Amino acid sequence: MSADGGTQGGETRIIRTDYLARVEGEGAMYVRLDGRTVEDVKLRIYEPPRFFEAFLRGRAFTEAPDLTARICGICPVAYQMSAVRAMEDACGVTIDEGPLRDLRRLLYCGEWIESHSLHVYMLHAPDFLGYPGAVEMARDHAGIVEQGLQMKKAGNALMAVVGGREVHPINVRVGGFYKAPTRVQLRTLLEPLERARETALATVGWAAELPFPEVERTPELLALSDPDPGSYPIDRGRIRSDAGLDIAPGEFDEHVVEEHVEHSNALHARLRERGSYLTGPLARYGLSHAQLRPLAREAAGEAGLGPLCTNPFQSIVVRAVELVQASDEALALIEAYEEPDAPAVEVTPRRAVGHGATEAPRGLLYHRYEIDEDGTILDARIVPPTSQNQLAIEEDLRAVVERDLDLPDEQLSLRCEQAIRNHDPCISCATHFLELTVERG
Amino acid sequence: MVVIGVGNALRHDDDAGLEVARRLRALDGARDLAVREHELETLGLLEAWEGYGAAVIVDAIHSGARAGTLYRVDASEQAIPTEMRSSSSTHAVDVAGAIELARTLHRLPARVILHGVEGQRFDAGSGLSEPVRAAIAPLLEAVLRDARRLSG
Repeated sequence: MSADGGTQGGETRIIRTDYLARVEGEGAMYVRLDGRTVEDVKLRIYEPPRFFEAFLRGRAFTEAPDLTARICGICPVAYQMSAVRAMEDACGVTIDEGPLRDLRRLLYCGEWIESHSLHVYMLHAPDFLGYPGAVEMARDHAGIVEQGLQMKKAGNALMAVVGGREVHPINVRVGGFYKAPTRVQLRTLLEPLERARETALATVGWAAELPFPEVERTPELLALSDPDPGSYPIDRGRIRSDAGLDIAPGEFDEHVVEEHVEHSNALHARLRERGSYLTGPLARYGLSHAQLRPLAREAAGEAGLGPLCTNPFQSIVVRAVELVQASDEALALIEAYEEPDAPAVEVTPRRAVGHGATEAPRGLLYHRYEIDEDGTILDARIVPPTSQNQLAIEEDLRAVVERDLDLPDEQLSLRCEQAIRNHDPCISCATHFLELTVERG
Repeated sequence: MVVIGVGNALRHDDDAGLEVARRLRALDGARDLAVREHELETLGLLEAWEGYGAAVIVDAIHSGARAGTLYRVDASEQAIPTEMRSSSSTHAVDVAGAIELARTLHRLPARVILHGVEGQRFDAGSGLSEPVRAAIAPLLEAVLRDARRLSG
């Protein structure tokens, strides 16, 4: 980052930040100020975004879960789950109940735990505590970093037992799993997950006490909505928004358009004739607060969160609440687990189009595939949460810059970075590279 | 002692560390070695080397040097030089960051050697660039030499 400062209030002033750290991948942010007026805010994304969609064409429908899992190092399960749901949809198969669905949800809980603990402790906490990164923060706050690593390890252990491998699970297939874990195997996870749940509860209280800039934002919130009133959205459901959108995943293409914008290689998603929207923890929480497990809902209440969180900087608290949710639900799923008769159901390909939407830690992840009668992928469309959130992030940046115009250049740059990290953008998913610039001129 | 190849198989030269791990595993003369492929998420290294007294890490490097350039840093004796940023494709914290975090938290094995090869391309796609492909054999040799030394 560099800051070529000038005086504030009408004179030329340039702040420039060329590398955006602590987001997944690399990317760039550009803010242009003219005096006290915010002239332009852009989240700039580089790299051709559509490699993976092209890469999938001509591959077998059974390969999509493993290939798309490599798009992101932090949310491979989300890619696998949206892929299998889309392929099963195309082939007329539904796995919406029973042990196979429970196992999928359990695996997904592991990913939420791993991803959220990484973001809360390693990527976002340094912003609030005034450190350039986790390494520097660890020198003074080793206990906090150790807590994060302990939670992350519990998530990894869950992914290793159910997913077959910690980082890039290999046990997921269209129709279910290659091998179902035994009850005994899953019960080895109880102790680390109980500790993770305790840590998550403490994390909610800790995060609630962090210093939050007072910013209020009310973008349209969009997330899956689970049909079970006692189930927080993760792996199934209709897509809803707080402005009345209520569609099946198969209707996503009709309502969400992706546009090329000049400053970014990523496609910017917007709701047709409505504009920007936000997906992710703030949206899930705002739309499905009542569907949180009681323990998570209580923790949110004790932390002072109402049923809707409008300060994006408090997303760190909402992520902590979702850590309670995911660890508590994982424990319940393990306690109730009955081994399936078979690790997968048979899925026979047919010429069709299938849609799948699930809730990645960062938000809604949509896949659409067209396959041939022999299962060959003819076309693929992947819309990751970060490309959906880009416009909302730019709007957040505009609000933050307008509020904090009088901050010195360097502090304003850091505040902007923090505002971007509020949404845990996975630039790797959205396109696959980023860098950062703030400019006053 | 464990050898850990790090990277992303679908980011061209970011596959170099994984390729070394794969070749090492296929070597008849190296069947006694613990070899792991660690894809994508880098902080998991703290768990991958847990319980081992020594680790040899292999990763692609993105520093602007000539593609195919080989690096070797004894991380047990010195901090990873800042110019040795790992390939940055999907790493929230790169390999150097993971090593330094582990050092701060006293979670670094007693001996850690980082081997790297300068990559040319880290965009999405499969297959190593020519300079990196040509560097794999000498890199493998150097990794094997350290692995043997640290196992002894």
